Amino acid sequence: MSEETILDEIEFAENPEPRCPCVLLLDTSGSMSGSAIGALNQGLQTFKHALAEDGLASRRFEIAIITFDSKVTVVQDFVTADQYEPVSMAAGGATAMGTAIVTGLDMVRDRKKQYRENGISYYRPWIFMITDGEPQGEASDIVDEAAARIRTEEETRSVAFFAVGVEGANMEKLRAIAVRDPVKLNGLNFGEMFVWLSASMQRVSHSKFDDQVDLPPLGWGTV
Amino acid sequence: MDVDNRGTLTTNRPAYPRWRVAAASVRGTSHEKLGTVCQDASFWQVAADNTLIAAVADGAGSATHGHVGARLAARSAVETLRAHPDLASLEGAHLDAARPVLEAALLEARHDLIKEAHACGLKPRDLATTLILVVASTRGIAGAQIGDGAAVIQTESGDLIALTTPDTGEYTNETTFLVSPGALERAQYFACIEAPGRLALFTDGLQRMALQMPFGRPHAPFFNPLFQFISRADEAADDRLASFLQSPRVKTRSDDDLTLLLAALTDPAHESEHTV
Repeated sequence: MSEETILDEIEFAENPEPRCPCVLLLDTSGSMSGSAIGALNQGLQTFKHALAEDGLASRRFEIAIITFDSKVTVVQDFVTADQYEPVSMAAGGATAMGTAIVTGLDMVRDRKKQYRENGISYYRPWIFMITDGEPQGEASDIVDEAAARIRTEEETRSVAFFAVGVEGANMEKLRAIAVRDPVKLNGLNFGEMFVWLSASMQRVSHSKFDDQVDLPPLGWGTV
Repeated sequence: MDVDNRGTLTTNRPAYPRWRVAAASVRGTSHEKLGTVCQDASFWQVAADNTLIAAVADGAGSATHGHVGARLAARSAVETLRAHPDLASLEGAHLDAARPVLEAALLEARHDLIKEAHACGLKPRDLATTLILVVASTRGIAGAQIGDGAAVIQTESGDLIALTTPDTGEYTNETTFLVSPGALERAQYFACIEAPGRLALFTDGLQRMALQMPFGRPHAPFFNPLFQFISRADEAADDRLASFLQSPRVKTRSDDDLTLLLAALTDPAHESEHTV
């Protein structure tokens, strides 16, 4: 561990609240350019404000953001919502979805380890992937590996992985990658989706023995 | 607070020392936002020989009828124990003797939930709830717990003892429910022959204030004022307790539904004039 990251762990002393980690995997490929990426940027602002309204949630909800186009970029490492400042994204290039999924799963695994080492209790992490297409511009075995990882980690209840398709998304392909049924976003209703996300994740208590996550009604999309 | 959750005192001539009890359930801020009802419940009764039987329950947020399950489970378990022919022998008993009786009460509550679910065309999991059940008198205390939350007592000598620990898995919002597979085998049972001078039962919303995690030790700055409060409680105690649970000092620490049931055995020598 570097000197810099050692000091970072002081955040768990300063804020000992249980954590609710959520990774957003955002498609920033060429097809998202124009109104879609604009609506997504606007949606992240709404997300930030929805979380900031709730003092307790803003110290529990942790966000990480990974964008994927021709390359995969961690634009935001895990940060509690009170520290999060949305950065405007641009769109262009291919769709390295498989690589992004693997990166997200690795980040979740590492973050959980950090929580445990620091005695922080946590909720089941969510990964929320938003795309208007399908994997493109990367080797197909990477996509297969990503799908296999999701399957294993859903089975061991390590993570809950949700895929959201924007108009134009290959829903069949998303169904093949994610264990859960993908959700089709109504229009470009990212704002409502993020408000729902901010309210839903930590609100419900579950049985240890359920594999499914019972979600509040989706006003913003259809399964 | 729900008046229906209150038990009734059935003693005509109160035995001493006797119980003062206050209980309140309030809706969490997160549930207010989502427009869901308070899914917690409590229920208590004092039997003729001055034995307190009390329960708190936390309906699962993921269950559509968790609030129904919580109320039904708390009432059913308390009434089952109350009807037990040899209740008086239970609190002072060795755990081996108390456990089958407690298990039977949990089983009856579970059975009632399943019956209710079927009657309403629901699945048992739609009524998922945790349950903490105790029976207590001067002779001691016995009880059982399925799920999270905890039971804490303060002995006559002032020691705080957690009788149970919250049952959570890897994730803090996951626990065992009365209708979960193997719930009765996973339940925590306890019996203690020391008179519980003061008693607190609470649901998981208060856990982070009440217990020092991860070891689940009772947090004295939380319990000491509450136990002083219940020792001097009057008729308005339920309302005062509800106001406390709704105050910013609690609400800024927890956005979940909160239920707290407090009871104290009051010493006749220090008994004040007002009646419960």
